[in-house]
Amino acid sequence: MGQFLQFAINGLMAGAIYALIALGIVAIYKATRVVNFAHGYVIMIGAYLYYTFAVILPSAPWFPDLLFQPDWLVEAKSKAQMFSPEAAWLAWLEKLPRIIFGLICAIIGSSILARLIERFLMRPLLGQSNFAMIMITVGLISVLSGAKSMIWTGDAASVPHLAPNPALRFEVFGSKIFIFGANLVSMGLALVIFAAIVIWLRRSTSGVAMRAASEDQSTAYSMGISVPRVFANAWVLAAATGAIAGAILAARDGVSPALGLFGFSVLAIVLMGGLDSFVGVFISAMAVGILEALAQWQLGGDWVEITPYVAVLIVILIRPHGLLGQKEIERI
Amino acid sequence: MTKFNMTRRSVLAGAAAGTATLGMPAYLRAMSSEFIIGASLPLTGPFATAGQLIAPAFSLYEKIINDEGGIAGTKIKFSTEDSGYVPQNALANYQRLLASEGDKVVAYYGDSTGFMKLVGPELKGDQARMMTSTSFASDLANPETHPYQFMSGPTYEDQFNILLQDIAAKGGKTVAFVHSNTEFGTDPIKSGQAKAAELGLEVVLVESTKPQGADIPTHVTKIAQANPDYCILQGYVTGVWPQLIGGARQFGLTTKFMGTFWGMEKLIADRVTAEAGPFLEGYQGVMPYRYSYDTENAPRLQQIAAISKVALAGTPLENYFPTWGIQAFASLDILTIALRRNAEMGKAPTADNLAAALATIKDVDLGGYFGTNISVENNKVGTGRVYQYSAESRLFTPTSDWLTV
Repeated sequence: MGQFLQFAINGLMAGAIYALIALGIVAIYKATRVVNFAHGYVIMIGAYLYYTFAVILPSAPWFPDLLFQPDWLVEAKSKAQMFSPEAAWLAWLEKLPRIIFGLICAIIGSSILARLIERFLMRPLLGQSNFAMIMITVGLISVLSGAKSMIWTGDAASVPHLAPNPALRFEVFGSKIFIFGANLVSMGLALVIFAAIVIWLRRSTSGVAMRAASEDQSTAYSMGISVPRVFANAWVLAAATGAIAGAILAARDGVSPALGLFGFSVLAIVLMGGLDSFVGVFISAMAVGILEALAQWQLGGDWVEITPYVAVLIVILIRPHGLLGQKEIERI
Repeated sequence: MTKFNMTRRSVLAGAAAGTATLGMPAYLRAMSSEFIIGASLPLTGPFATAGQLIAPAFSLYEKIINDEGGIAGTKIKFSTEDSGYVPQNALANYQRLLASEGDKVVAYYGDSTGFMKLVGPELKGDQARMMTSTSFASDLANPETHPYQFMSGPTYEDQFNILLQDIAAKGGKTVAFVHSNTEFGTDPIKSGQAKAAELGLEVVLVESTKPQGADIPTHVTKIAQANPDYCILQGYVTGVWPQLIGGARQFGLTTKFMGTFWGMEKLIADRVTAEAGPFLEGYQGVMPYRYSYDTENAPRLQQIAAISKVALAGTPLENYFPTWGIQAFASLDILTIALRRNAEMGKAPTADNLAAALATIKDVDLGGYFGTNISVENNKVGTGRVYQYSAESRLFTPTSDWLTV
């Protein structure tokens, strides 16, 4: 039972990050009716931007090192035992300016990228079939992947966690439970962002405009809603949340080109939850996170990669529009 | 416009030259003005760093050998192309080189296990050339199935054997194997389990991960729950293994981590230490060769250090030559011995003749890459030793004697 709990907690922590990534795919779909196949690669760029501004630039001799090193911290660090919780807190505190700088730059950089994609690739296709726009996002995968190779190497690298990373250890039902502090905080952060954005989309004027544009663009236009602005906001929202998810993932697993592939398994999660349902996507993200962790525990790593796809196949066979997706009714 | 004149004299001269050429013994025809050694390296793509660190070894080696007067008087020349770590690209590079340079090409340096397995069936008749590569795949060390392919170190299975012997000698009782879900990662796992059982070691965990972007918390949790004395990591180059070790250290695990050749590069370990802290302190692994700074009783490494200082001045390789480049040097020195012995016997440098010459390399001092004389048996050199990393000195230092398996 203790072991089950351990892997269920791991799964929930992974599920929260999936939910944050999925939020971007759903936001774009709800506003524009376009499934963004390149979302994983937008996240990858966000992760590499975080790496650039939190690690590469501050390490350059011509750039300020952005380390917080008052005397008391240097002294406390020298006295702290290596790998102790205290050392983890102090190491995080020392890098905090880098983390904040890296995260802000990653969010801004990703948002600019999203704005450019929307303005120059998506907006010219307004009024065309959604299929054309979707194919643009497929082409974007190659463009973003190639751009990444031109700017950064293919090497994996480490980046600082957004939160302190002391290890938490306790016993449940006679089994030891291990949790990384940073992952727990990241889970909380992902859930808070997810909830805040969903509430904002439901309550704010911008959110209502996005929902209106999603229902009927022509009527939204006639009601004075700037549909292109709604589209741009959706792309920026997806990229900004993607940058945060990218930074969390990069800190957890290392920054590498494999982050781009992450989007595909999250796309499966979105299909499973229902393309236009935040709640459905949240449930499926948590479910897939737990399923993957349990598959890792009981079946081994080889099964983990296929878990989300098997899950989505089963759900779609039973509910073609996903768990809570809206059934489309076409009137002839 | 150039006018093309054919006289009776020129026709006769041409015919005589043609007849003489055709009538020459085969080995004389094959003895060209230079030996071309082709190579495919991942200069772009996921392993671009490795390719870019290996590439200078070829230019330095060309200079060293040609300054010595070449191989049996014949100069060597490298022809290196980018593969992007795609086996089909490397195969196309190889075929293109054969088509353009023909018999001048005496050997080829491949970039991966994938390429070596893909090209294997193509190595027949006049398409066959002697080959070595970056790979230590166990399947390749078999003269029956891969007669023209060799490696200058122990296979991954051998490397596991060396590590397991070392663990048993140090009193370890339990061991975990964590590997990527690639051919590279799974290569030594089964034989490692058998060897562990033979040595009385209990394998408490065999864990498969993605080669990049693996779910570190879940894998570390499994290692923590298995709590092995030692954990061997296999199938990674720049990623996953540092994050796993970092996570385990953060959890306070006392497990000792070990790696094989591709997880033992100092440049990567130094970078991880600089970016993430001293997580790799005490990390151990098997290395077939001495590190380039360990030049005592190693004249070839001294030569490499001296030439690097001049030829690579101003680059990170000026004072340290990576193990991935040392592997290329050692492989090329073995190839050179085979070419020289073959020339001494007066034979053409065909793949069959070079394979026969390769099999004669027994108890040879290769110039100090290894701390012992080496033999090529089953197209491999089964020698290596265990090194340990110090985050403070940023050096790998040996913790075992040289072992041959």
